[in-house]
Amino acid sequence: MLLKLAWLNIWRNKRRTIITATSVFFAVLLAITFRSLTDGIYDNMIHNVVSYSTGYLQIQQTGYWDEQSIDNTFEEDENLYQELLKNPNVENIIPRLQSFALASYTDKTKGVLVLGIDPDKEKGVNNLHEKITEGKFIEAPNENAVVLGEGLASKLKLGINDTLVLLGQGYHASSAAAKYRVKGLVKLGAIDLNNSVVYIPLKQAQYMYGAEDRLSSVSIMPNKTTDLQGLKRSIQETIDPEKYEVMTWKEMLSELDQFIEADKTGHFIIIAVLYIIISFGLFGTLLMMLFERKHELGILIAIGMKKHLLAIILLLESVMISLIGCFAGIIGGILVVKWFTIYPIRLTGEIEQVYEDYGIESILYFSSEEKIFIVQTLIVLVLSILLAFYPGYKVMRLKPVEAINS
Amino acid sequence: MAKTIIDAHNVTKTYNPEKVPVYAVQDVHVHIEEGEFVALVGPSGSGKSTLLNMMGGLDEPTKGSVIIDGVELTELSENKLIDFRLHNIGFVFQAFNLIPVLTAKENVGFVLQLQHMPKKEREKRVLSLLEEVDLEDKIDSKPGELSGGQQQRIAVARALASKPKIILADEPTANLDSKSAANLLNIMAKLNKEENITFLFSTHDQRVIKKARRVITLVDGKVDSDVQQTPT
Ligand SMILES: Nc1ncnc2c1ncn2[C@@H]1O[C@H](COP(=O)(O)OP(=O)(O)OP(=O)(O)O)[C@@H](O)[C@H]1O
Ligand SMILES: [Mg+2]
Repeated sequence: MLLKLAWLNIWRNKRRTIITATSVFFAVLLAITFRSLTDGIYDNMIHNVVSYSTGYLQIQQTGYWDEQSIDNTFEEDENLYQELLKNPNVENIIPRLQSFALASYTDKTKGVLVLGIDPDKEKGVNNLHEKITEGKFIEAPNENAVVLGEGLASKLKLGINDTLVLLGQGYHASSAAAKYRVKGLVKLGAIDLNNSVVYIPLKQAQYMYGAEDRLSSVSIMPNKTTDLQGLKRSIQETIDPEKYEVMTWKEMLSELDQFIEADKTGHFIIIAVLYIIISFGLFGTLLMMLFERKHELGILIAIGMKKHLLAIILLLESVMISLIGCFAGIIGGILVVKWFTIYPIRLTGEIEQVYEDYGIESILYFSSEEKIFIVQTLIVLVLSILLAFYPGYKVMRLKPVEAINS
Repeated sequence: MAKTIIDAHNVTKTYNPEKVPVYAVQDVHVHIEEGEFVALVGPSGSGKSTLLNMMGGLDEPTKGSVIIDGVELTELSENKLIDFRLHNIGFVFQAFNLIPVLTAKENVGFVLQLQHMPKKEREKRVLSLLEEVDLEDKIDSKPGELSGGQQQRIAVARALASKPKIILADEPTANLDSKSAANLLNIMAKLNKEENITFLFSTHDQRVIKKARRVITLVDGKVDSDVQQTPT
């Protein structure tokens, strides 16, 4: 009965209800589109960054992160790989051996980051091999060849097929030295990396550093990135916790994480302002619905209706009006997000250049995570309930005689 | 002797007691017995509405007590009082008594729904109530589609629905033409006679006053006269 009355009541003034619901609709639509776009951009950004660096999760020997030396590496372990790949949420694993060295060509010498990689496994997670601007990418894990960041190559003034000498400290203070043919150059978005990285086949790196079969890390790419903490825990349960440490990208790339969080706070404020504006509209409607019905409410109290039932009716009216708008907004939002997933926005001009420079695809992705939709619904629901408190309070204090005479 | 249904004792209502006091009702004693058909008359501002509201538990007397069927209204909590009204008192106001979004049938059934009467039983009762007020052909009409007289008759049907001991009506005919007013009064008189329902109604209308069997006249918030008469 209460539901029916509330439903009938909101349509007493169709125009007002439609206007109010429409304002909720636009707020929800905007909020969803906005959140979906920004989350999509962040996800894309994170994916781009972590796929070249840490992965979403990374396994290291305990203590490696604090002291990233070749001595803190661990022995490659087929069992570890198997345990990891058994986890249904792990899609790819990328073993790497990483250390520092001096690189020289003719009379130039530079400190470089040496990344020993398995070219096949890298291909599964990033498109490093497509970033080649000259020459070719390394193919076999033991090929005698290296690929350099373009920036580094130009500093060393070297080109394809030149021979690069690497010199460094190997495992347990052995000395590491080797010569490699430069097979290709890559252009990387991250400027630091572009100016300092030398990609080298994993086996070659292990050989050079005297660290046969040793790895500094195994990066993990999950098939869904929403519950990294959960994945981290489930991985920790399957591997030796004394020996290995599992970290998420947020722990390793805390600057990126902080940047995103700060940016999100800004967006949160924008959305909050949006909702505050529609709250005023909804509140006004609720007050009008209360005041123009005072006489009727007084009669209902007189003939024996308890005030709290009337307050519930007002609450239901508020929730109904806003949920109509909210659901319409969600449907609209889903359509917008679907549309842009099928026909993504390609950035053009200068922005495209900026994105490309940072090695991020110049496409705006929209996130279609359910959370975005659920959160908007909850916000609207909570708002409509909170806003109904005042009219509800007014009803509880209504004196039947005064109400009937108004 | 019939039992006392309304016992207003020493009832006083003063508005604005601090600033400029208005003595709307002063020291009124009224006893009404079951089955009476009483008109409350008096000039505008004499306190008729104020007294009726206090008798219905819609307003609290400043002083004195109202006892309906043995229950002292001022002693009930707000929710108890609402429940008491639901089960014991029917109300008919001057106008706009009905919920505009509900049909005649739903308006009358509303009170029964508040009493949690099962649907089947409720529908039967609503139909017979609408027959009593000669509106069985309007069950699915909304108040906006009915004339003022028809709306008031539906209000009477609703007031009857919970089988109350008394029906209080504040100028129920004020907005009606004389034919509709007479029609409404006839229905009220019939219900009074056939079902022994006590009616107390205020009015300005001489033709309505004539239908009453007892007339209480208020002047300046006091009972000026209280006489029995033969309705004509
Ligand atoms: N809420 C109020 N505040 C102050 N004074 C009031 C209030 N309600 C009624 N009064 C005063 O109380 C007196 C009695 O009013 P009441 O409405 O009971 O008269 P009435 O006999 O019903 O008049 P009418 O025939 O015009 O309906 C009047 O003087 C009125 O001005
Ligand atoms: Mg009056």
